[in-house]
Amino acid sequence: MIDILIGFIAASLLLYVLLGGSDFGAGIVELLPAGRLREAQKEIINRAMGPVWEANHMWLILIVVILFMGFPIIFTTLMTALHLPMLALLVGIVVRGTAFTFRHYDAVQEARTQSIYTWLFGLSSLWSACWLGIIAASLNRGIMDPSSREVWSAWIAPWWGLYPLSVGVFVVCIYAFLASIYLVGETDDPALKRRFLRLAAWFNGLVIVAGGLVFLASANEQESLAKAFLRNPLNRGVVATATLLFVALWFFVAKRRTMLTRVVASGQVVLILIGWYVLYAPNAVIMATGPLSFYEVAAPPATLRQLVIALLVGSLFIFPSLFYLFRIFKLSRRPAEDQPRSDL
Amino acid sequence: MDNLVAARATMAFSLGFHIIFAAIGMTMPLFMSAAHWRYLKTKDAAYLELTKMWMKGVAILFAVGAVSGTVLSFELGLLWPGFMQHAGPIIGMPFSWEGTAFFIEAIAIGLFLYGWNRMNPWVHWATGLMVGVSGFISGIFVVAANSWMNTPAGFDWVEGAARNIDPVAAMFNRAWLHESLHMQLAALQAVGLAVAGIHAWLYLRGRAPDLNLKALRIAMVFGAAASLAQPFAGHFAGEKVAEFQPAKLAAMEGHFVTSRRAPLTIGGLPDVETRTMKWGVEIPGLLSLLAHRDLNAEVIGLDQIPRENWPPVLIVHVAFQVMVCIGTLLAAVGALWFWFRRNNHLPRWFLWAVVGCAPLGFVAMEAGWVVTEVGRQPWIIYDILRTKDAVTPVPGMVYHFSLLLVLYLSLAAVTVWLLQRQIRAVQTKFGG
Repeated sequence: MIDILIGFIAASLLLYVLLGGSDFGAGIVELLPAGRLREAQKEIINRAMGPVWEANHMWLILIVVILFMGFPIIFTTLMTALHLPMLALLVGIVVRGTAFTFRHYDAVQEARTQSIYTWLFGLSSLWSACWLGIIAASLNRGIMDPSSREVWSAWIAPWWGLYPLSVGVFVVCIYAFLASIYLVGETDDPALKRRFLRLAAWFNGLVIVAGGLVFLASANEQESLAKAFLRNPLNRGVVATATLLFVALWFFVAKRRTMLTRVVASGQVVLILIGWYVLYAPNAVIMATGPLSFYEVAAPPATLRQLVIALLVGSLFIFPSLFYLFRIFKLSRRPAEDQPRSDL
Repeated sequence: MDNLVAARATMAFSLGFHIIFAAIGMTMPLFMSAAHWRYLKTKDAAYLELTKMWMKGVAILFAVGAVSGTVLSFELGLLWPGFMQHAGPIIGMPFSWEGTAFFIEAIAIGLFLYGWNRMNPWVHWATGLMVGVSGFISGIFVVAANSWMNTPAGFDWVEGAARNIDPVAAMFNRAWLHESLHMQLAALQAVGLAVAGIHAWLYLRGRAPDLNLKALRIAMVFGAAASLAQPFAGHFAGEKVAEFQPAKLAAMEGHFVTSRRAPLTIGGLPDVETRTMKWGVEIPGLLSLLAHRDLNAEVIGLDQIPRENWPPVLIVHVAFQVMVCIGTLLAAVGALWFWFRRNNHLPRWFLWAVVGCAPLGFVAMEAGWVVTEVGRQPWIIYDILRTKDAVTPVPGMVYHFSLLLVLYLSLAAVTVWLLQRQIRAVQTKFGG
């Protein structure tokens, strides 16, 4: 039962990073100067994200619900010790969702308000992505101390430091990288395609640099990431494969195989998440007082059973509809010229 | 501001904000689908225009509802870890179903908003309807979770912890039906009248009269029907509160002394110090009759409740009076609407009355939530766990509150401004 739930959390996290992450990344991409391609880029991002962003965002809610129903101690511990980063994340989520929607649905499309929406959308995407990384990094640092009531040690130290920040930057780079790769396939405009490819290459480089920074910054942590990774043969394999896949990625880019590039880029992110999971499993959180394992803090069996039923039955509805959504908007993309405007 | 007060203010404000957009998000797609259906049946272009107009409104308001709902799912833990730690495993079930329903809603809205000309028109229509239907279902689940806080069930409370958890019994607790019914009707009522009010106003001012009259008619069918049904649902809920939460009922009515043939007090202000009602109009025996279907039934007063377990009487009573007063007024408006529709004549004074009622449904809905939530105090799980024992240990909640206040107030202002631009754009297009 617990394994099924861990599976659902892992799958939701994965889909949130891949799908939701690329939506964040699109916002980050829009922050960069685009010159005369600005408007066209905005249109492509509107069209690519518009139909799916609310659904992509649902994976986060799913994780929250599974945690608070199935693993309430983990949920309350995180919401208490990481209160501030969670709040920061929420502010970002509120601003970016509404700014993105308002930009598209504002009845009067003026340059000035449009650019305000774009800036808000971009900055809040960057902001939220960074805080997501900080939260992820803070889970396993062994600093959270549930008994402390002292401002610094209880509410700030758990997420403060170079290491969480470097993971935040890393997540920003990954999201922007994913978005650039995905966006290449969303447009038929050669100039835009070139721009997204160039961005993908840049962010590809930045992902590697930021990844290196994460390893360096982790030297100050209780256990450095480099040591932890070297200890585990599976993780060595994961890092090596993820890096090697860059070669495959750019090979497919050169061959203009849009779908394959998307698959490979997603595969790299999957590998990173697997590496992260293997490092700490089955502990969800590592606190100053020791680890919180999914297996040890799970809710009573009656609750878990209901949760699993809800998730399985829900999946029967969600996955087919989700497939339909993506088939309509992503797989059967009609040529750009006869695409009806979304609002007719 | 005390940490507990700040946390409660944050929760109240987040919920009060979200509930408006949640109500719109689950009912307006129904109006939209009704208009869309009429377009597909009649091919009357005005209905298509109306569908698209409402669709844009739905898109904007849905986004605000979705993000503010996300905030709430976090706030449960950010503000009330002591509650979630116990309650999560017990009432997580309606939340997990709510999550499923909301997921479907989010998928359906993507399909509907961007699916024009891409699907079979009737499939497309169905996706729009799905937004409303799954929204409605998810609303019922969320209210079921809230109702559990009022009538906890499905566990044994042993030495400060829940044992023998039964999530199904918790979900179908004794309050889920009347709370859900009352709330879903309130959503239809509030949104129906607000939408009708806006279109009545545009119609009266001579803007695109044909379009606005069609809009008014669709919205009023929902709003008026719900307004007529609501007093019955409200009465049903009142009887249940009398049975399960006597302290709340006593606060609602400002009923200090346990008595038989208890009077119903209309208006008035309760004075907690002297334990008396001031300036109210009393109708002898009516409270006994309404609460227990017997003129001579005994109605428990606040004197039977230990002082520390009293909810804030003044707030609950005033909120309740506001809700009932508006509910009565709206029921009358609903009845008149069907009367005038039957006679095929809508007098202008009545349309002005509809305009005047536009915000009232939302006021009543907020007041109703104040009654439920403030009336539950000092408990977060009624008779089990006190709110003050569930609050987060994180200090400085007043900053959290202020941040959210500023964020949401700005968001509300921008939303209103956007809707006003939306309406103006449509009216300009149609002349007048």
